[in-house]
Amino acid sequence: MDKIEILGLEINKVSIFGLLFNKVMIIAYALLGLAFFGIYEIIEIRYFSEAANAHASGLDPTNPELREAMRLAVFGTVGEVNREIPWTLFIVNYMYMIYTGSGIIFLVALAELMKFHIVEKVAASFMIAGIAMVFAGLFTIATDLNILNMLSMFTSPNIGAGMWLMLPLYSVYIPFVLFEIYLILTNKRELARRLALPILVMSIGVDLVEYYIQAKLFSMNTARHLWTEFPGLMFYFIISAFVSSLGIMGVITFLVHKGKLEYKELMGLIRKAMLFFVSALALYEVFAYMAVDKDWTLIILFGEFKTMYFGGYILLTLALPFLLIFREGKPFLTVLASVFVIIGGYIGRYIFVYGGNANPMTDRFGTGYEKYDFYSVASNFNYAHPHLGEIFIVVGSIGVILAVYSLFDSLFSIGKLKDNH
Amino acid sequence: MNYAMALNYQNCINCKACETACKEENGVQLGADKQRIWIGITEGTIFGKPYINLYPSQCNHCLEAPCVSVCPTYASHITEGGIVKVDPSKCILCKGCMEACPYDARFVDDTMVAVDKCTFCDHRIDEYGTTACQATCPTKVRLFGDLDDEDSDIVQLLKTKKFFFQKEDAGTLPKLFYIVPDDEIYSRQSISHDTKIHTWNEFKPKYDAVRDARSKEWIR
Repeated sequence: MDKIEILGLEINKVSIFGLLFNKVMIIAYALLGLAFFGIYEIIEIRYFSEAANAHASGLDPTNPELREAMRLAVFGTVGEVNREIPWTLFIVNYMYMIYTGSGIIFLVALAELMKFHIVEKVAASFMIAGIAMVFAGLFTIATDLNILNMLSMFTSPNIGAGMWLMLPLYSVYIPFVLFEIYLILTNKRELARRLALPILVMSIGVDLVEYYIQAKLFSMNTARHLWTEFPGLMFYFIISAFVSSLGIMGVITFLVHKGKLEYKELMGLIRKAMLFFVSALALYEVFAYMAVDKDWTLIILFGEFKTMYFGGYILLTLALPFLLIFREGKPFLTVLASVFVIIGGYIGRYIFVYGGNANPMTDRFGTGYEKYDFYSVASNFNYAHPHLGEIFIVVGSIGVILAVYSLFDSLFSIGKLKDNH
Repeated sequence: MNYAMALNYQNCINCKACETACKEENGVQLGADKQRIWIGITEGTIFGKPYINLYPSQCNHCLEAPCVSVCPTYASHITEGGIVKVDPSKCILCKGCMEACPYDARFVDDTMVAVDKCTFCDHRIDEYGTTACQATCPTKVRLFGDLDDEDSDIVQLLKTKKFFFQKEDAGTLPKLFYIVPDDEIYSRQSISHDTKIHTWNEFKPKYDAVRDARSKEWIR
C-alpha cells in the first residue's frame, strides 16, 4: 500500500470510503447508533422529564405539565437518579473500560521494560486497544455528568477531590500514551531508542498515579465501607484490571495475530501472566472480605449478590480460567480463558459498584434499618436496575473502541508486527 | 456562629408537618424520595414489647463534611454558620457527594439538574431566627440555634440533657443532636447499647477545636 510520511509516521494512503466504511467501522456505527439512542433517552429523562416543586403548584395550578409531574411524584418514579444508588452502570462501565485499558498500557510498558521482545513487536495493537478503551470509558462518564456545568471544573477546582483530579490526569495521560504510540510507530528509530527507557518508566509512573486517583475516588466515600475498608484498594484495582487486560490482549492476539509465527509464543506469555494475576486476584478475594465491614460482606458473599459473585465473578474470572490455563495446552484454551475473564471482570466491577451501595445508609443505631416512609417496608438491601438508556450507552461504548482501533489500523497498519527497538 | 439542631425525637408523632413545611418553604421538588428532611422509622421489640422510634432526619451539616471534600467543583461548600450548601450552577452531577454522605441526606433535584439538600433555611435565619421545620413542629421536637452562643436555647438544652448522634463512627462530627429521653436505661434498648451518649461539657472542647480549624474555610 502507498504511504505518506508525516513526522516520521508512515501513514497508509487509504480512501475515505475505506477508512470510514470498512467492516469494523460499520459494526462500530451500529453500536454507536445504540449509544446515541441511549444518550437521547438519558437526556430526555435528565433534562426534559416532568418535575415540579411546591411553588409551581401554587403559581400555575392548572398547568398540564404540573399535573403530569404531580402524578409521577405520587405514583411513579421521579427523575434519573435513585437517591440510594447514585452510582450505577455508567460508573461500572467507566471503571471497567478505564482500568482495563490502562492495564493494557501498563502491562505493555512493563513487558517492554522487562525485555519481552515478542510484546515489543505487537505493542502497537495492544496500546491502541488500551487507549481506545480509555476513550470508551471517558465517553461513558461524559454522558453520566451534567455537561452544562462542566466549566466549573476549570473555574472552581477542588484539587483535593479524586473526581477533579481525573481532569488533569487524563489531560496528561492521553497525550502521553499517544506519544508512546507515536514512538512505537515512528521510523525515527534514533529518537525512539533514546526516549524509550524514560518514557516507559514514566508510563508506569503515570499508570500508578491513575490507579491511585481512582482508588481515592472510591475510598473518600466514608460511608460506603466496601470501598473504604477494601484492603489496598489501589492494588486491588491494579491486579483485577491486569486480569481483564490480559483477557483483552488474549482476544486481540487471537483476532489480529493468529496467523503469525509468533502467535503461539505470544499466547504462551499471556497464559503465564494471566495465571499469575488470576492467582494473585484469587488470594485477594479470599482475604479482602475478611477485612471489609460485615454488613457489606454478608450481602455480597451470602446475600443477594452471592449468585452473581460466585456463579459469575468467581467462576468466570478465577475458577474456569485457572483450570483452562493451569497446564500448558493449546492456545485456544487461553483464548477461552480470555473471554471468561473479560466477562467475569465486568461482573466483578458491577458487584463492586452496586455492592458499595447495597447496604442502606439508614442502619443508624445498630437496631435495624429505618424506613423513609411510614407506609414503606424497611429494606436491608438497595438495588435498582439501570435505565435502558444506560444499557444502550454501555453497549455503544464498545463501538468507540472498535472505531478508534479501526481508524488507527487503517492508517498505521497496527496489526503488523514491528521491530521497534 | 455555628448553627446546629437538637432533636427531642421522643416527642415526634410523625405528623410530617415539618416535611410539608420544608417543601413549601424551600420549593423542594415533589416526589417521595425528594426530601430535604424526613422522619426515619425503626421498629423492634424490647423483651417482647413492641416499640417504634421516630427519628426526624436531615443533613447533619457535619463539621468534617465528606460531601464537601469529594466535590470536584466546590458546588458543595460550607457557608457562614457552618451550613453545608450546594450551588446548583456548579454541580456537574457526579453524585460523589451522595455517595460520601453517611446519612443519605442528598438527592437530585430534577428541576435544577443538581444535587439538593437541607440548608437549615438559611434565607430566613435573620428574619425568623429558626427553620421552617422547627416553626411548624406541633410537639417541639426540633430546636435550632447557635452552638457558639452560650445563652442560646440550644446550648442551654444541651447543657441539661444528654445526647447522641447518628453514625458518629463515620467521624464527620455531625450537628444534629438527638436528645436522650429521661428514662435513659429503657431508651438504650431502642437506640442500641453501642451508641455513645455525650454531655455538653465533655463534647464542647472537641467541637470547638474542629470548628476553629475548619471555620477558616467557610465561605463568608
